[in-house]
Amino acid sequence: MPVRKILKETCMLASLMILAAFTLSIIWSGITAEITLVLALFGLALIITTVNSFFDEFLSLSIFLSYIIKYIIFSGIVMLFGFIAGWFFPSNFWMAFIYVGVVMVLAFVIDAFTVKRDIGYINDHIRNGSRNGDIRPELNRDGGQV
Amino acid sequence: MKIVTRQVPGKPLTVTIEYPEYTESVKGLIKRIESLDICFRAFLDERQMRIALSDVYYLENVDRKVFLYTKEDVFRLDASMQEIGKITEDSDLVRISRTCIMNISHLTEIKQLKNSHLEATLDNGEKLIVSRKYLHDIKRRF
Repeated sequence: MPVRKILKETCMLASLMILAAFTLSIIWSGITAEITLVLALFGLALIITTVNSFFDEFLSLSIFLSYIIKYIIFSGIVMLFGFIAGWFFPSNFWMAFIYVGVVMVLAFVIDAFTVKRDIGYINDHIRNGSRNGDIRPELNRDGGQV
Repeated sequence: MKIVTRQVPGKPLTVTIEYPEYTESVKGLIKRIESLDICFRAFLDERQMRIALSDVYYLENVDRKVFLYTKEDVFRLDASMQEIGKITEDSDLVRISRTCIMNISHLTEIKQLKNSHLEATLDNGEKLIVSRKYLHDIKRRF
């Protein structure tokens, strides 16, 4: 199983475990500060994912410019959300730029690497003339030419 | 793989696939054969014509009108991109941007330009801009 798939499924399972554990906690002991924080993080993730999806759908910019604009927008969202949720105060609001900056740099590196790898994969398959659904030689049980 | 062909007068074109076990390759082969039957009713100068999916290079939505591009001609289609997406699911047509659907059987290369935009080149020399968001969808078809 590819490492990427394992990581993806781990993240999804962790999210489900967090939601399940906190749902039970809410039922038994009501909403605590930790639960509020986790729910706020899920809410923030939902807003950022939605904005990101619209951004990618409607704007076609270079990867660098796209990440610069996203950095500004997401910093603004995190800052606004942070003020509402009580994470930031006027004295430390700039922390949002650091938090978002770290995530954006990681996302940029992964995105740039993934795009390069996907292009290589597609071009290799075009050159080799192989596609999903092609009957490959290893499936050739009669020994005839494919 | 054996290919057996025989002429049967008076019957429609029939493809029979025999396989030792149902694998992804067999599934893909069936889907690709099925997609050969897809035709578009398109208009060229108010004349209605049938265009086979294999002749389609790409479809583009311009000002809420959908245009179908073959190797040399441009046709108008009375359908939305969503409708086309549903009909051509699992075919060679794949969305490459918000306004464009490309036939990957005519794709010869994808490259990243200096400004990091992605560009697809088709076998008629035509170049299309690919959104990074849809690159993974193209990859899944190979």
